[in-house]
Amino acid sequence: MPEGAWGWLIISYLFLAGAGAGAFVAAVACDLLAPDWSKALARAGSLAAGPLVAIGTACLVLDLEAGLWEPWRQMFLVSNPTSMISWGVVILSVFIPVALLYAAALNNISFVGQYLQKYVWHLEVIGTPLAIATAIYTGILIAVVNGVPFWNTPMMPVLFLASAISTGLAVAMIGAALIDITTIRTLSNFALGHVIFLTFEGIVLMLLFFMSLTRSGEAATSAQILISGMLSPYFWALVVVLGILVPFALSVVEYYEYGEMPKHLVVGADLCVLIGGMSLRALIIFSGSPPQILT
Amino acid sequence: MPRYGIAVDTTKCIGCHACRVACQNQNELDFNQTFNSIAEVERGKFPSYAKEFAPLQCNHCEDAPCQRVCPTGAIYTTPEGVVYVHRNRCVGCKYCIEACPYKVRIVDHHKGIVIKCWLCIDLIREGKEPACVTTCPNQVRIFGDLDDPNSRISRFIAEHRAQPLRPDLNTRPKIFYKRS
Repeated sequence: MPEGAWGWLIISYLFLAGAGAGAFVAAVACDLLAPDWSKALARAGSLAAGPLVAIGTACLVLDLEAGLWEPWRQMFLVSNPTSMISWGVVILSVFIPVALLYAAALNNISFVGQYLQKYVWHLEVIGTPLAIATAIYTGILIAVVNGVPFWNTPMMPVLFLASAISTGLAVAMIGAALIDITTIRTLSNFALGHVIFLTFEGIVLMLLFFMSLTRSGEAATSAQILISGMLSPYFWALVVVLGILVPFALSVVEYYEYGEMPKHLVVGADLCVLIGGMSLRALIIFSGSPPQILT
Repeated sequence: MPRYGIAVDTTKCIGCHACRVACQNQNELDFNQTFNSIAEVERGKFPSYAKEFAPLQCNHCEDAPCQRVCPTGAIYTTPEGVVYVHRNRCVGCKYCIEACPYKVRIVDHHKGIVIKCWLCIDLIREGKEPACVTTCPNQVRIFGDLDDPNSRISRFIAEHRAQPLRPDLNTRPKIFYKRS
C-alpha cells in the first residue's frame, strides 16, 4: 500500500463535507418537492448540513501543523488562486453560514429563524450552488493532484458529487426518522433518490476503474490494489456490496412498498450508504500510488 | 541571473550515502529525515544483471506542481531557479507532498512545516556548491549554471544527453540524469 501524506482527518473531511453538502441539497429538494404535511426530511437535512461541513472543516484544520499552532498563518490560505485549497476555503466559509441560516429558517430557530422565514427561497437559491460546489470541490481537491495519477482524472469530482448526494440524502433520511417517525412515507418517496444516485455512483465508479486500468501504469496499480490487491476485501465488501448493492436493493423495495417497509430496514439502508461513502473516500486516498520515477 | 541545476551520473554512484549524511548535517535534520535519498533499481536477467543507485532530491521544477497547489503561496521560485518554501507562511497542509510526483518532500514536525532540498542556497550565494555535490567521493553530481553553454554541467548534459526523470510529466525539472 503506497504511503501518502494524508490520513483519516482528510478522509473524514472529504466524507463530512460531502455528506453535509448532500444533506443541504436533499433538504432543498424535499422543501420544494414534498407535500406540506411532510417536511421532516427538509428540516433534518438542513439541521445536519451546516454542522457536518463545519466539523469536516475542523478536521481539515486539525490536519494542519504550523497553521494549527500559529492560527494567524491561516490568513495566507486564500493567497494562491491556482490552489484548490484556496478556492475551498472561500467556498466553505460562505457555505457554512448559509447552511446554518437555512437550518435556522426552516426550523424556526430563535429570532434569526423567524426573521429569515421570508427568505427561505433566497437561501435555497444561494445555498444550492454552494452545496454542489462544496461536493464537487472535495473531488477536484484530489483530482488536480498529478503526483497521484489514479486521482488525476475528471471522473473523480463526478464520483464525489454522486457519493455526496447519496450520503447527504442518507443523513437527511436518518435525521427525518429521528425527528418524526410517522414521516416514513416521505422517506419511501425519497428512496427513489437513493436508487437514482446509487446507480449513478455505481456507473461512475465502474467507468473510473475501466479508465484507470488503461490510462497509465500507476493508475492501473492503484485500481488493482482496490480490485484484486491488498485493499480489495474492503473495497468489495464495504463499498460495492454494503455501500451500493445492499442499499440499492433496499431502496427499490422501499419505494415499491410505499410506507410499508420496517423502519429499521429504512434506516439500515441509509447507514449502509454512509459506511459506503466513508469507505469509498478512505480507499481512494489509501490506494493512491505515486508515479514510477525510475523505470 | 544564473539558473542552477545538478547533473547526476548514476553510473558513478556507489550508494555510499555520503550525500545524504552531508545533507542532514548541513540542514540539521533528524536522523530519519533527509532531502536526498538513494533509490536502488535492479534490472536484467542473470548473467547480464545490473544494479543502479539513483540519488533523488527535489528537482526544482520550472513548472512546479507543488508551487501550483500551495494554498498559502509559501512555495516560490528564487531568482536562481531554486524552488523554496517560505517557513513563516507554510501551514503544513501537506497538499504539496501529494502533488509532488517525485515524492521528495518531508514534514518537519518540530516547526510544523513541509521542508525539502533548497539546493543549499545559502552556500550558493556565498559562491560555494551544495553539500551533496562537494561531499560526493565519486563526483556523481555536477552543479552549475544551466543557462551557460560553457559550464561543466551544460557540457556534461550535452555530451551524455542527460535527461530529467520522467520528462513526460512536463514539470521541467532542473536535475538531469545520465543513466546506464
